[in-house]
Amino acid sequence: MTESGAQLFARLEARRCLKDIEKKLFPGDGGPENGEVVELYGSEGTGKTELLYHLLSRCLLPLSAGGLEVDVVFMDTDYSLDMLRLVSILDSRLNAARSSSSSSGSDEEVLGSCLSRLLVVHCSSSSQLLLTLHFLETTLTSRPRVALLLIDSISAFYWPDRCEGGTSVTKQEEKLSKCAELLGRLLRDFRITVFATCHAIRRNYSGPSSFSSSSSSSSSSSDIDRPFLCRPWQRLVAHRLLCSKETTNMAANNNREPKRRQMFTVHCTSSSSSSSSSSSKTKSYRSSSFCITDAGVEFI
Amino acid sequence: MVVLREGMCPGLDADLVRDLRAAGIKTVEDVVSSDIEDLAQRCSVSYKALFAIRRVLLAQHAAFPVSGADLYEELLSSTAIISTGNPSLDKLLDSGLFTGEITELSGGPGSGKSQVCFGVAVHVSLHLKQSVIFIDTTGGLTASRLLQMMQTESSNPEEQTEALQRIHVFRLFNIFSLLDCLFALRSGRLQQACAGSVKAVIVDSVSAVISPLLGGKQNEGMSLMIQVAGALKTMAKDFNVAALVTNHVTRSDSGGVQPGLGVSWSHIPRTRVLLERRGEGGGGRALQSALCDPDQVLQTALSHQGRVRPAVVEPLERGVVGKEKTGRD
Repeated sequence: MTESGAQLFARLEARRCLKDIEKKLFPGDGGPENGEVVELYGSEGTGKTELLYHLLSRCLLPLSAGGLEVDVVFMDTDYSLDMLRLVSILDSRLNAARSSSSSSGSDEEVLGSCLSRLLVVHCSSSSQLLLTLHFLETTLTSRPRVALLLIDSISAFYWPDRCEGGTSVTKQEEKLSKCAELLGRLLRDFRITVFATCHAIRRNYSGPSSFSSSSSSSSSSSDIDRPFLCRPWQRLVAHRLLCSKETTNMAANNNREPKRRQMFTVHCTSSSSSSSSSSSKTKSYRSSSFCITDAGVEFI
Repeated sequence: MVVLREGMCPGLDADLVRDLRAAGIKTVEDVVSSDIEDLAQRCSVSYKALFAIRRVLLAQHAAFPVSGADLYEELLSSTAIISTGNPSLDKLLDSGLFTGEITELSGGPGSGKSQVCFGVAVHVSLHLKQSVIFIDTTGGLTASRLLQMMQTESSNPEEQTEALQRIHVFRLFNIFSLLDCLFALRSGRLQQACAGSVKAVIVDSVSAVISPLLGGKQNEGMSLMIQVAGALKTMAKDFNVAALVTNHVTRSDSGGVQPGLGVSWSHIPRTRVLLERRGEGGGGRALQSALCDPDQVLQTALSHQGRVRPAVVEPLERGVVGKEKTGRD
């Protein structure tokens, strides 16, 4: 396929590296390198979306407010993007930055410029996801400042695909495999970073559920945390963030004790292939906790 | 999956469709994913023509990126917060039901899920003067009950009649008719069916039609469930209506209450309110409590006029993940 000079330039020009996107999240000094995929995994109410918004707002905010000031493409497959929440997070961070240092520009203007760095795409089926990824190639070419692609969530079409594929597993996974392959190519060509959320689809029977009134033993995170999406996708993922809610004893909550903040933990597993021996993959881990406030995620 | 047909875009004629099919290219995805150069040789068409076709097909079928700033502008002008007519429930929901979002009421039998739905329908039609679509999948809705609830709010029979006319009831007892109805509403009948603007779509109950399909090794049920969720979400977003659905509850092994329909559904609603029957009161009064993510406790009282009236709200903890909405002006 032919390539114009502008395309070549957009492809070769280094995209902003997001290695320092959140130092408290990734093990060692290694954030996601250019061209790496980060998966956020967890069941409902474990802080995936909040964490995603935290990372998103860090990318969108201007340099003066401690952001990275890069363009972001947000692929919303769940129709769950809550713009109002995102804006409130951005707003509070801008305010915090403004109080510490005098920066120019009115609130509305700065917020507007933050939001204009965001591109939102809604996808309603896995074929549309595939076509849209193809379409994004031109977007990436024309916007060299795009450094991050967010997919919320990559598992949205898991059941429809399973059903459409009939009895053959290859057929069931065909669409997502194709998406993963294409994504792999985009990552190689454009050196962008990808963050994707993945919902848990199995209930953890041994552990506490989100509604259980008396939570007892902490779960052995074996079965429910096993990746279930297709192999090509699994191979792409370099960092896996496992989100969970810290257990609180709800029974004690009824007698009006002082308010406690809900804590969330995120467990990061990074597999980076060392340059010397490319075949052996070294794995490193890190756990961190955060709580959620009006201003978004706060690490502890 | 979009199958290639002639005339889908300029240059795609019957001969080319046949040639492409012979080369194993049947869908738009196939065209887009294939190597155009190689394909042009195999089908003996010009590379340029095929490249143009690919570009047009891609533009037609891919989702178009929208700037976040535009999306926010649009959202500010279109989002509405619909009061449930119940001050404590409104407080719990951060001032009401939000358009563009799915709110779920879950609770065991007799916990007042349907009564809350009726209350919302009555409030929206009587006080806010907006149309409501009420999808009844259990046969639990009776007009006399709605009228009874209206009579406690208004003494004007004309007003009551008008309000009742604004509640459009669909009785659907299986998932296929539910999907049919949702798709029809989404493809434009929503505004057509009701003269006024629709602000709320209530499905009572969504679990009644979905849960019989779940279980076993079949995936069809899960797929249909996700389709219902998708239809509700896109309708809520595109038409700016608030979707209110009800769900049953199950008990986990440890004895705790958890919402029904499993983990895959649990990601769907934006906000979930857990209704619980609390104790048995005398004289037709039963205390109820609702939990919105187990962090907030709401006590409701079902008075003998039958209107659900939460009495006390105790927000024990704020900052619930993803369920809290702030910063609105």
